[in-house]
Amino acid sequence: MYMRSGLLPREKLPDLIGKLKREYRVFGPVRKGSEFAFEEIEQGEELCLEYGTTILPPKKLFTPMRETIYKFEGESFSTIEDLIPADKKIAFGIHPCDVASFRFLDRVFLGFRSDPRYLRRRDSFLIFALTCTSVSEECFCLSMGTGPDCNSGYDVLMTALDWKFLLEAGTPEGERILDSLDLEPATEDDFTAKRVLIERLKGQFKRSVETDGLPELCMSSQDHPLWERYGEICLACGQCAMSCPTCFCFDVRDEVDLSLKKGERYRVWDVCLLKEFSQVALGGNFRPERSARLRQFICHNLSYGYYQYSMMKCVGCGRCIRICPVHIDITRIARELREEAIVEKEE
Amino acid sequence: MKDPYERYPAEVLDVKKETENTNTYTLRFLDEERQRSFSFIPGQFIIISFPGIGEAMFSISSSTRKTDSFSTTIRKVGRVTSKIHSLRPGDRIWVSGPYGNGWPMKEIEGKDVLIITGGVGLPSPRPVIYYIEENRDDFGFLEILYGTKTPMESIFSWEYERWHKMPRTKLALTVDYVPEGVEWRHNVGVVTTLLDDLVITPRNSAALICGPEIMMHFTVQELLRRGFHEQQLYVSLERRMHCGIAQCGHCQIGPYFVCKDGPVFRYSDIRGLPDCGI
Repeated sequence: MYMRSGLLPREKLPDLIGKLKREYRVFGPVRKGSEFAFEEIEQGEELCLEYGTTILPPKKLFTPMRETIYKFEGESFSTIEDLIPADKKIAFGIHPCDVASFRFLDRVFLGFRSDPRYLRRRDSFLIFALTCTSVSEECFCLSMGTGPDCNSGYDVLMTALDWKFLLEAGTPEGERILDSLDLEPATEDDFTAKRVLIERLKGQFKRSVETDGLPELCMSSQDHPLWERYGEICLACGQCAMSCPTCFCFDVRDEVDLSLKKGERYRVWDVCLLKEFSQVALGGNFRPERSARLRQFICHNLSYGYYQYSMMKCVGCGRCIRICPVHIDITRIARELREEAIVEKEE
Repeated sequence: MKDPYERYPAEVLDVKKETENTNTYTLRFLDEERQRSFSFIPGQFIIISFPGIGEAMFSISSSTRKTDSFSTTIRKVGRVTSKIHSLRPGDRIWVSGPYGNGWPMKEIEGKDVLIITGGVGLPSPRPVIYYIEENRDDFGFLEILYGTKTPMESIFSWEYERWHKMPRTKLALTVDYVPEGVEWRHNVGVVTTLLDDLVITPRNSAALICGPEIMMHFTVQELLRRGFHEQQLYVSLERRMHCGIAQCGHCQIGPYFVCKDGPVFRYSDIRGLPDCGI
């Protein structure tokens, strides 16, 4: 347990960013039209910490949508060092659900085999987590055990309390940074205020998933009629998986220039909702129906991932619900699998 | 740190024509140390890669005992396999592996071994046949059932005579149909029609099955009907794969990654899993 903590007045946030930027590149949530996105912060003022969620999750920082595996020219190949800068960076203002997603991604890319591309990016980032101060319509992190507070996976945890941020260190690196900031000491009242905030938030969730026995339930519900029913509605657009903070699948492609000697092999996010995803030689396809592909996405999140990595893949961020053009709701499917009658609450 | 996405240069030593569209390629890593230390379990696979064209996965079809080279048997079906089919001895190729779990060699020791394959499914269990041949006393009866569409599509046909002559071994061949003018002295019908003359019984035996999913489905059903247990049936699955290390996500079947947890599965472990037709 790292005990270092301190208080930062809200109006000093741009100063903090300025200070951090002397040593780090800083990535955080910025306004993008009516939505938010994680972008590199040039000026502290761009940062918008009062955000619900972002369009794309922060996985793009560690495993970019398109990433070069290596470049080649004739028979010589680039190295990781050529490809991926190891400059120091900070992922700033990351909500607890997204912090939890990093733990899942780590198991995918650093578990069975370590991918040096992912590791190099991951290691280059410090995580400044941000305790949630509001609960969006689609949030269900509470039931997934990933929010609205954050207990691990951060270097620094920030919690907005009335006029100030409570900053807490989670690693020696985080302690070093807090020490360098000349912060006002936090009191027991501040920690109490944080607890009160979290307790208040816990009462505001409109969505939840009963996770107890859910992996087993999904395994035994492969023939449940709801897959057909939702398969009829699903557009198979794949936005749910693209916006999912723990979806990790990728396709590998080659690209050559006109000389046919020089080019690169790259990976690019791929999603199981697309028909081509499961296609093999001679056109064979193991998931030709939309219902099967939707089932793969939902069950990977609520079941298979748990067997693969001993933690639920779904972190309850609600992005897939927000983005689905036909309002397919993973929490509702989880409930229907339990054959609970759905009674729409009249608002 | 080792990069699991690195591919290593190898040389094509030999190209052997098996059928009209299928060749066996004998390969050797350029780096002597890599070649010397390259060992695999029957049923494991390699990635063959060409910068600028792509890469694909193939079963290793040679003997595990061979250390100066290894081979793979490839049917021409797409971009990467077409490139492979343009190769001649001396040409350069990029290889990594081996990947996957392979056939359960320890578990089948001392047992009768039934190998049932179809078409280009034979390369995967072929190292099992070599292994049993090389360690003949460690195994019981070996029975190989092999089916193809026509007689012209049988691969490794130059080895059948040797397999026939191996002690305590039976090879049974079948084809779906015999085109006019082609001589064929074996069975006609799908591979399951050979099961009526099965020598191996469910007692102290294991069945290794590799072929198209529909063929594996009917074979498994027939064997179960004949008293084999789900636990003694093994199948090797094919899925789309890009990495071989459970990261690209394409080969998932329920909780399993075919590239990491397979490609060989005990039937009882995959029975009833989604999107699996066996």
